[in-house]
Amino acid sequence: MDSTAVLELSGVKKRFGGVVALNGVSFSLRPGEVHALVGENGAGKSTLIKILCGIIQRDAGSISLGGSPYDPHVPGDAKKAGIQVVHQEFNLLPYLSVAENICFEDMPRKGFGLVDYSTLYDKARKALDAIGLRDVDVRRPVESLGVAHRQLVEIARALMGESRILILDEPTATLTARETERLFEIIAGLKAKGVAVVFVSHHLNEVFAICDRVTVLRNGESVMSADIAATTPDQLVTNMVGRQLAAAMAASRDVDKAGRTALSLRNLRHPASPHAEGVSFDLHYGEILGIAGLVGSGRTELLRSIFAADLPVSGTLERDGQPRRYQTPKQAIRDGIGFVTEDRKEEGLILDMPIAANVTLASLRKVSRFGLLNKREEIRLARALGGEIRLKYGNTGDAVSTLSGGNQQKVVLAKWLANNPKILLLDEPTRGVDVGAKAEIYALLRGLSEKGLALLIVSSELPELITLCDRILVMSKHRIAGEVAREDFSEERILNFAYKDERNHGHP
Amino acid sequence: MDTPELTAAPAGSTAFATTTKTVLREAGIGIALIVLIAAFSFTPYFLTASNITNILTQVTINLVLSIGMTFVILIGGIDLSVGSVLAFCAVVAGTVMNLPGLDPAAAVALATISAILAGMLFGVLNGLISAWWAIPSFIVTLGTLNIARGAALQVTNASTIYSFPPAFNAFGSQTIYGVPVLFLIALVLVAIGWFVLTKTVFGRVLYGIGNNEEAARLAGHNVFFYKVAAFTICGVLVGIGAIIYMARLNIASPIIGIGFELNAIAAVIIGGTSLSGGRGSVVGTLLGACIIGVLANGLILLGLSDFMRQMITGFVIILAVILDKYRERLTKA
Repeated sequence: MDSTAVLELSGVKKRFGGVVALNGVSFSLRPGEVHALVGENGAGKSTLIKILCGIIQRDAGSISLGGSPYDPHVPGDAKKAGIQVVHQEFNLLPYLSVAENICFEDMPRKGFGLVDYSTLYDKARKALDAIGLRDVDVRRPVESLGVAHRQLVEIARALMGESRILILDEPTATLTARETERLFEIIAGLKAKGVAVVFVSHHLNEVFAICDRVTVLRNGESVMSADIAATTPDQLVTNMVGRQLAAAMAASRDVDKAGRTALSLRNLRHPASPHAEGVSFDLHYGEILGIAGLVGSGRTELLRSIFAADLPVSGTLERDGQPRRYQTPKQAIRDGIGFVTEDRKEEGLILDMPIAANVTLASLRKVSRFGLLNKREEIRLARALGGEIRLKYGNTGDAVSTLSGGNQQKVVLAKWLANNPKILLLDEPTRGVDVGAKAEIYALLRGLSEKGLALLIVSSELPELITLCDRILVMSKHRIAGEVAREDFSEERILNFAYKDERNHGHP
Repeated sequence: MDTPELTAAPAGSTAFATTTKTVLREAGIGIALIVLIAAFSFTPYFLTASNITNILTQVTINLVLSIGMTFVILIGGIDLSVGSVLAFCAVVAGTVMNLPGLDPAAAVALATISAILAGMLFGVLNGLISAWWAIPSFIVTLGTLNIARGAALQVTNASTIYSFPPAFNAFGSQTIYGVPVLFLIALVLVAIGWFVLTKTVFGRVLYGIGNNEEAARLAGHNVFFYKVAAFTICGVLVGIGAIIYMARLNIASPIIGIGFELNAIAAVIIGGTSLSGGRGSVVGTLLGACIIGVLANGLILLGLSDFMRQMITGFVIILAVILDKYRERLTKA
């Protein structure tokens, strides 16, 4: 026990259904310190923050705040206790003014429930001035602000309440160097007032620039807590990654059999990419190419721009050596490309429709003549593919929503396989899938590559990429930061590329 | 099926569970209709042949409009313009029918074609505008509601057209074994609508778009085309509805059809189609339109005032949707 701690967590656990999100997190926060919370995607940082601010409840473990037990049930409890959070996603009301947003939790009133606008504007002005945002008119609608300013408004709003603890979840993700600098000054000011700050970041250079201590999360557990002065970036990365599993898996793949080039990108640039040079690489038949990178590094956007789900702004794409410029997903599909999206519920499946209808959704021409559906043929195709991918289901007429996550994902795969694609783009192909189904999906993907399909797989789970891929490209800020060949696979190597931008030419 | 793993089901069992579910929903609405009929059959006049003919006549126009509305609501849209567009189609058809120098048969044929084209025009307009600029169809069709009504008044200078070929008028009141011919036409349209929605690729994709537009788009479907098509189909049915209206009532006036859109929406919703799209059927719509017709007729026979009748119809609409929520919960559990 740390007697000086303002916040103390020990053995906090949380599971969602069968998925363990937190499996014993302990750390302590001292008044007036900036404490970094780092870990890979999915290590449990967001879950932990949600527990601290009362959005979800823990299953086990204890949390004490200022020496007494702390057990928030709604976000209001956390605010009353003096814990303020700036979330990664914006929680602003776009059509209301900056002032109304800042004071939304406690609107100044005049009686009869009328808003006291002059006090409102005053308070908001002071709040913005306090964080050095003097050039923003508090009457402007939030909608008219850029992302960086929105982030600062969010911070101003969090600081309106009495705060003992401020939690910042990836606060610099949308800030420019100058604004980051300003944020760091604000943090230093708060620190001087005795406020404890929890700083969640992927950017290790920032962690080393402003934090006093650091706690590393891995697979839902806190694996290390240390003073910043007593650690190094390399040590943090090693702890984030954990033991090496690469060696055991290396044997399972025959690397040297990639064939002709199936897809070739040159400077392909998604509209969200800040870099004109875009992304360039070649994908070969029979190859499984992995794309690693942090959340927000442009991996999903890359796949979407290949598939014309979003139209690239510049660059070229060649398919079998022929230049192509797809205007719609339909054209990409006709050209032999399939896209297993990250979010199967929102983009991949039509949940209320039958399994068979989902399987044939992208290949209705194969099960119809003159626009008339041949349902017998449709069911035959669904059953054949269902057998091929070992789908566990009752009847092809059952709604897809009745299947487990792993089987739903197999239906998405079946939807594309029904089209006999030559190239499959897969975005987080095993997200929310249990271990058994995961292994089956891996086997299935390997089988496809052996049949000569070219696979491009985006995944946040490095062991997944290391198991499956022949090559891994690492993305950082919408660019390819590095390429790792199978014989050199290691999580450290990949993460080093992922964090490369942060170390070399990051701010400050 | 109780086997947890079934990769090779016996060939020939082609049952679609979702189809079964749809049938169950429709059965529920059918039962409601039967209960309603049973309740009213205690009034002396309700089950007479002439009253049944009367009910079917009353139901016909709303049914035709509701079929089109079903297509639009299935993709998550709404068409508020159908009543006004019906008036516009009617005055266009009425004007064409009275063109000098046409023999009656040609006049009627030409009028029918022009009514359908006029309805189609507004349907295409509704679809194009809402799909191209991604404007909610509620707003777009609120606009075309006014445009069509204004155009109808402008074209006719607010006057009513009466003079149609006698054979046309006679056709409108013909019955076969007591069933109005116009209602039979509406039934044929129901059958076509049912066929298109359940048996064709086009129908399948409409359901898909209504359920999950992005998934349908990423599966290579041209969402824009389907949206415009759904509104166009609705427009065509409004054109047909206008001709049926003229045949039955022997007038074409720019002020007819006021509020028809709301009756059509009510029939679709009572018929179990989800206002958020993706779920529902034309058969349900048929039953929904019949429930509204039977209810209106029965309440009149009970001697209730028009005002009471309107209130009760309102309650029924709300009740139908509440019941649907429960049914949904039961089928999901």
